[in-house]
Order: sequence, then C-alpha cells, then structure tokens
Amino acid sequence: MTSKRTDYETELERIGKTISELENDALTLPIDSEKATKFVYLLYQQASLTGDLAELARVETALNTAIREIGPAGDLYFLKANLDFKLHRLTAVRQDLEIGRDLRNSLQGRSLQADLDFQEGNYQEAKRGYEALINDEPAWDNLARLAYLKFKWGDFAGAEQCYIDAENELTAKEMRHYAWVELQRGVLSLRGGSYEKAWNHYRVADLAYSGYWLVSEHTAELLGAMGKVDQAIELYQRVISCVARPEFQQALGELYQAMGKPEQAEPWHEKALAAYLESAQCGDVHYYHHLTDFYSDVRQDGAEAVKWARKDIALRRNFSTLAALAWALYRAGEFAEALDPIKEALSSGAVDAQLFFQAGTIYQAASGNGKGSEYLRMAAEINPHYQNFHTHR
Amino acid sequence: MADHNDPNAVNSIFSDIDVSAADLYDLFGFPSADTANGEKVVIALTFASVPEAGVLDSDMLYRIQVFAEPRVPSSLKEDHGLKDLLRHFDALKEKYLGPLGAAEIRVTVDSSNRATVRFINFAAGSFSKVIDTNKTVIIDTPDGLAIKAYIGGRDDAFFNDLTGFFRSINYAPQFYHVPHTMTDAREAKIPKTLLELEGNQFFNYDPSFPEWGYHGVKKNLPAEPLLWNGDRFYKDNNGNFRFAYSGIDCQAGKNINAIILEIPLAFITKSPNEDRVVSTWGESWVLKAANKVETIPDHPFWLEHPLVLLDAFKLDEELKKYKLVDTDGQPFADAALSEREDNRQLGANNFWLAPHFIKRLAHLGWGFGPSITALGLKTSFDHDNSPVSVHKTYGLVLEAFPRVKKTLLQKLNMPNDDWNPKGLDISMRRPLEIFVPNVCAIDMDTTGTWPFGRRPEDQVATRFLSMFLDMDAEFNGKKYHLELLNDQFLWDHAHIEPKTPPNPLKNDKDFLKDFPYLAAPW
Repeated sequence: MTSKRTDYETELERIGKTISELENDALTLPIDSEKATKFVYLLYQQASLTGDLAELARVETALNTAIREIGPAGDLYFLKANLDFKLHRLTAVRQDLEIGRDLRNSLQGRSLQADLDFQEGNYQEAKRGYEALINDEPAWDNLARLAYLKFKWGDFAGAEQCYIDAENELTAKEMRHYAWVELQRGVLSLRGGSYEKAWNHYRVADLAYSGYWLVSEHTAELLGAMGKVDQAIELYQRVISCVARPEFQQALGELYQAMGKPEQAEPWHEKALAAYLESAQCGDVHYYHHLTDFYSDVRQDGAEAVKWARKDIALRRNFSTLAALAWALYRAGEFAEALDPIKEALSSGAVDAQLFFQAGTIYQAASGNGKGSEYLRMAAEINPHYQNFHTHR
Repeated sequence: MADHNDPNAVNSIFSDIDVSAADLYDLFGFPSADTANGEKVVIALTFASVPEAGVLDSDMLYRIQVFAEPRVPSSLKEDHGLKDLLRHFDALKEKYLGPLGAAEIRVTVDSSNRATVRFINFAAGSFSKVIDTNKTVIIDTPDGLAIKAYIGGRDDAFFNDLTGFFRSINYAPQFYHVPHTMTDAREAKIPKTLLELEGNQFFNYDPSFPEWGYHGVKKNLPAEPLLWNGDRFYKDNNGNFRFAYSGIDCQAGKNINAIILEIPLAFITKSPNEDRVVSTWGESWVLKAANKVETIPDHPFWLEHPLVLLDAFKLDEELKKYKLVDTDGQPFADAALSEREDNRQLGANNFWLAPHFIKRLAHLGWGFGPSITALGLKTSFDHDNSPVSVHKTYGLVLEAFPRVKKTLLQKLNMPNDDWNPKGLDISMRRPLEIFVPNVCAIDMDTTGTWPFGRRPEDQVATRFLSMFLDMDAEFNGKKYHLELLNDQFLWDHAHIEPKTPPNPLKNDKDFLKDFPYLAAPW
C-alpha cells in the first residue's frame, strides 16, 4: 500500500516538473523574458521550499544571467532583492530596489523597503510603511509583517488580530501561506508560554499543508519546550534527514545537552559549527547571528561570540543584534561593557521575554541597582516558561 | 533564518495561480421560447474551465442572484444634469441596498464533481438538490414547477476580437511580458482609439509579426516608456485608416464551464404578470483557507500525541467561509469601465462607482469619439472636433460629465422591432441605466437581446462600442442603432483596412435552439 503524497511533496513535484520543462530554453537567446522570469522564480521557490541554502547559489547564477540578457526588469530585481534579503545582504537589497525598473514604488518594493527599515532598526518607519501598504491593499503578507512588528513590541493581542486578518485574506488556493501564518500564530503563543494554543496552531498548519518540514521543526521546538524531549529529538532527527540545516543540528545538540547527554550533543554541535563557519568563510553573512548565539550559549566562548556579534551588528543594528552583542559581552565577562548595547536594545521598545532575561542577567552581573530582578520579573510575566528549551530563530 | 519575519521568503513572491475558476466570463439572460406551462427565464453564468471543461473546482461557490419587478418608465432624461443623476443613483441605492431581498441560487461541486444547487428565498421558499454535472437535469420545485439545469463544460459562447479590443486600449499585457511589479504599465498612457495612431510602434499591427498579441504571443517589454507623441491617425498609401480590430474570434475553439438554468418565472415571483423585468447577476466565491482546513482529516501524528485542543473552528454562515472574487452582470462593466480592479467587484452594489463610471466613460470617449468622427460617423461624445484621439483622464466628475452626457443618457436605438415581438410600449435603454447597477435586466416581454437581457448570439462587444455613436444621426436614411457597426456595408464604404466589423458576427460553434443553448464543448 502506498501512502498518500503530502501537499509539500505534491507542490515540489509540480515545481520540479515545470523547471524541467523550462530549463532547456528558458535562458537561451533570444530570451523570452516571461519564460526566463518564471524559470528563475521557480528555482528560487524550489530552494526556499526545500530550505536548501546551497541551491540559492544556482538561483543566483540563473538570475544574474537573466538580468544580463533582459536588463533591470522589476520582477527580476524583486526576486534578487528577496534573495539578498534571505541572505542578510541588506546593502544589496537597497541597491536592488533602486535598480529594478519601477520597483521602488511598487507595492512589492514598498514591502521590502519596510522590511529593510525593520532590520535596520527604523521601527517607526517600518510600522508606517506596513500600515500604508495595508491601507492601499490589505494583502495577507503585509498584515503578517505588521503582526510580527506588533508581536516584537509586546502587543500580542494586536499581533494575533493582524494574523487573523491575514488568514482571512487567504483562500483555499493558498494553503501553504495559511500554514505559514498558523505557524507564526503558534510562535506567538509559544513565546507567550501558551503551549496548548501553540500546539493547536501547529496542528492546523500541518492539516493545511501536510508534510512540510517547517511545521515539523516548529513542532519539535514546542515538544522540547514542553519537556517531551524524546519526541522532540525524534522529530528533529526526521527534519534533519530532509533538511540538514545547521541551526536544526544545533537545536538537536542542545536538546541532548538538556537531557544530560553531552556525548550525543557534541557531534551535532560540531556539525552545526562547521557549517556556520564554512558559510562565513565563503563570504556569506547570514549565519553571523547563529554563530554569535552558538558561541554564547553552546560553547560559552564570549570572545568568539563578541567577534561574530560585532560583524552582524555592522550589517544591521537592531534590538536583536544589539541584545546578541550584549549577551556575548556578558559571556566574555565584560559586564559593564554589555550594559550599553543592552540599554540600546531595550530603548528600541522591543518587548521580549528572552531580551528581558538577558537584560536582567546582565544588570544583575553589572550593577546592584535592582534592575536585574525587575527585568527577570518582566521576562516571566511575558512567558513564565522563558527558560525552557527554545530555538534561535 | 535568524530573527526576522519573512512571509515571502518561505512562500511565493508572485501569485502561483495562473487561471482561476473564480474568473467569471459572461452572464447571459433571456426569456425562453418554451412557454409551455408558463414563461421561463434562461440564465447562464460562464467561467474559466479550471481545472478543465466539465470538471468544476470544489473550492468554489457560484452565486446567481435574481430579482423580479415591474417594468417602470425610466426616470432618466437626456437633458438631465449631474444633480438629477445623483438623485437617480440615490433612488437606485435605496432600492438595491434597501428591501431588495433578491432570491439566489448557489452552486458548489464536491470532489466527485456532483453539484449541490441551492435555491434560496424564492417565492416558493428555499430548497436544494444534488445533481449530476454535464447533463441536463430537471429539478422539481416544492410548488410543482420544473427547473432545467445544466452544470458543466460547454463551448465558450463569447465571440470576440479580444486582441483588437486590447490594441484599441493599448493594454500592454496582451502584447508584452509586463512584470508583476509594474502594475502602472498595464494600460499605457496612449490615447485609446479604434483607428491606429501614426507612429504608435508599441501597439500598431506589425505585418512582419502577424501573430503578435494572439494566443499568448508577446514581445519583451521595451526599455523605454510606452508613450506616443504623434498628432494624427495612421493612413496607408491609399489613404485608408488601419482598424485596431481585425474581426478575428479570439475565443474560437475554447471551452468554459457554465451554470445554465431555465427557471419558471412563477418560481421567481408570485406576480409573473406584473413583474416583467428579471434582474440577475453572478458572483464567484472561493473557500477561505481556514474553512478548507475544516474539511481535512487529522494526520495520525496529531492523534498519537493527544493534548487538550482548543476548538479553533466555529461553524459560520456559509458565505462567511468564502471570499468574493468576481462579479458579472453586464458585459464590459469590468473590463472596459472598471479597469478590472479587484476592489471594484461590487456587482449590483456598484453605485459608489457611478462617478468613476462617468469619468472612465469620458476617458474612453476621448479615445473612441475622434476615431468615429474620422470615419465620417457622428459620435455621442463631445471631443471638440479633435482630429485625433486624445489621452485624457478626469479627476472631477463635474468636468467629465458635460463631455459624456449624451453618451450616458441617449437612448440606444435597436436596428428593427424584432426585439419587441409583442409591440409593447417599452423604452429604449440608456447606457447609464444599463451599467448602474451592474445587473443583467431581462425584459420578459422582449426577446432578451442586449440590452434587454443578453442572448448568446448578441455581438455585445460591438454593441458596446455603439454607445459612442450619436443615436440621433442617420446612416443611409436610417437612424444609428446598436447593430450599425456590425453592418458590413458600412465597412465596405469606409476608408479603412481591414474592411470588417470589429468583432466576429457569430460564434465559432452554432448555438443550440433548445436548452442548454450553449454549444457542446470542443
């Protein structure tokens, strides 16, 4: 008896089939811009869906060929900007938005600009951008963007409503998008300490779009947080067998560590670190944040953590990279020096249990003014289980 | 990916839906010739044959609304001012948004392609029936009447030179690969025109590339903006204009899916002798993602890991589970007059679009009016004797209205009296009352030919263009009428190439004399 194909498998098969049909002549001269754009887009979609970052290199090569032949078409530069964004190349994203024909002021271009503002710590600009976009066209993705901003600013109810509004825009023809929004609602619940709600959202995500590793990965984290470590490990192993990304390997290692099995944790940590470093050696920047976290929390090697945190913050100075630097300095024993970046992170207005936990810990180490306890209390208020297992998203 | 929200990075950045079953094509409505056991009205809603002709999409809900009322004399007059017009719209609004209480028919199809047809709020009440698709079925009503129904694949009943229409409005996506991000580049800022413009290299017919613009054949979008700086219509060496239209049937050989119903008038209204006008319009709705999930069984994983689950789902009224995508009442109400913007899919409730309708018609008038004049015909649009089409848009209705007043308010003459077989005193219809509200108003005492309904054999695309003719003028001793531009004699004597009516005169497949009227699929 053969098992029913999952939605994920079916979609990948469809994409792969169309790529096969197009690949022989999509980029040959004379180039058909619509066909070429579709081909490159499908490559991008395939790489995104499989989570295979190495495949993005193939996408980039095809994309550059198409741009060379067709010129600065808005769609191609929009694709390029998304690719650059995925890889944290924010300067390149800004350039893409300028070069792409009529891209900068299109709805898609404006969404990316607001995302850029968010990443660069211009939160009010980002908020204005999202709200203006929603006013012009209440598309699900912009509602989800605004939801995330609200979530990070502690407005859980506002975020939830935006996610509900986003779902309301999605139809039966967009079940993957729906599953993704359900995952975000799950994360929102998880970060607020509501495991049952998170579980339910993840279950709905799986119903909506079956067989997606991203749902399994989120579920594995939740199981870990709930203390169902054996199940979490089993699920992580399944995810890694499909998508061998280092952040998942690190998470699995941390789970073993939490179980008191360092000998089983270490091989996964080694694999994760090797992949992070290899990426950085190739000139890629998107794992800087993970390297910072890895050295801070897995190796507790403050000096190395500070090194990667400073590289990351040079690219994007936001509350998250500031908090990561502060935490790295704390791990390095530079308590006083950690105060400045953590203050700056807090002054952004972000409301996050993990941020408050780090702030509390740093303040307790750096001064005895009582702020440390206050931040730890605030962290527990947001999420009573904030010290439970969690992944570095 | 660390610490940022990224909806598009893990999802599609462009729409993956190429052709949607939600795309409504046409709504036909006319009195049936079969009056045995009482009068009946035929209503046919056609839409994209997705997933394929004869197989309907189970995520869709199609809705046809029906409302019968007595025929009343038009309150519109040709010398009406803008204020009178606004009063007219207010009165209409009261009627349609107030106690209208239209009856409706909803159709959904399950995964085995069986259709559930629900009749709601009809004179005899509400009931539903599950029927087979792709065959004519008789549905017995609770009050002993019989409704004929056909739900399934047919030949596309629309016969039209779509490429010609898009050439006339310089609609770039028909001719160029226009990126998704360049929405402003779709309708080029070049005068709309029935006659090609001299030097309009971006849209004029290219004799070296005759298939351009047909069957999906396109060019790459040029690097330069799609603009035109000329000052005259193109003429060939013989002094002939070049027609933007070719008369080719771009829909030939294509199939659609359709819901075709023949409904006794007595089922629609308790007063069939008084309620002589049946207004109808169609809508397509697509199931919301959240409601689709309800229909999917749980994966064993979740059942093997039981936790207390919150009840995330609530049963809701049926339509709340769906999202309105498209509406269809009058042909060209969307494509020509609402620029196909999704947020203007309002159907009968399109009153707030009335100002937009006036401005858009004036914009079209500046394009088509001078073309008509150049052909030696009289136009209903006041273009100050412009020798060539002009690209002009309006911000204020007040400015647009005087130009377009006659086009909006003139009575559209019929070519002969065939449309009125009983010889009753029925007024000719005016464009404004045809398009606002956006419904197909079927006069049961006529043949139902457009604009007194819409019969499959009506060449509505050409009749639509006739609105820009001055219906007070005469051609060959006869007043202009809705079929004038379909008259080969006119084109034979015009300085134009090709010498053809703009659109084909008949469908590629003969219509049937009896139910379901539309031809079988290819």
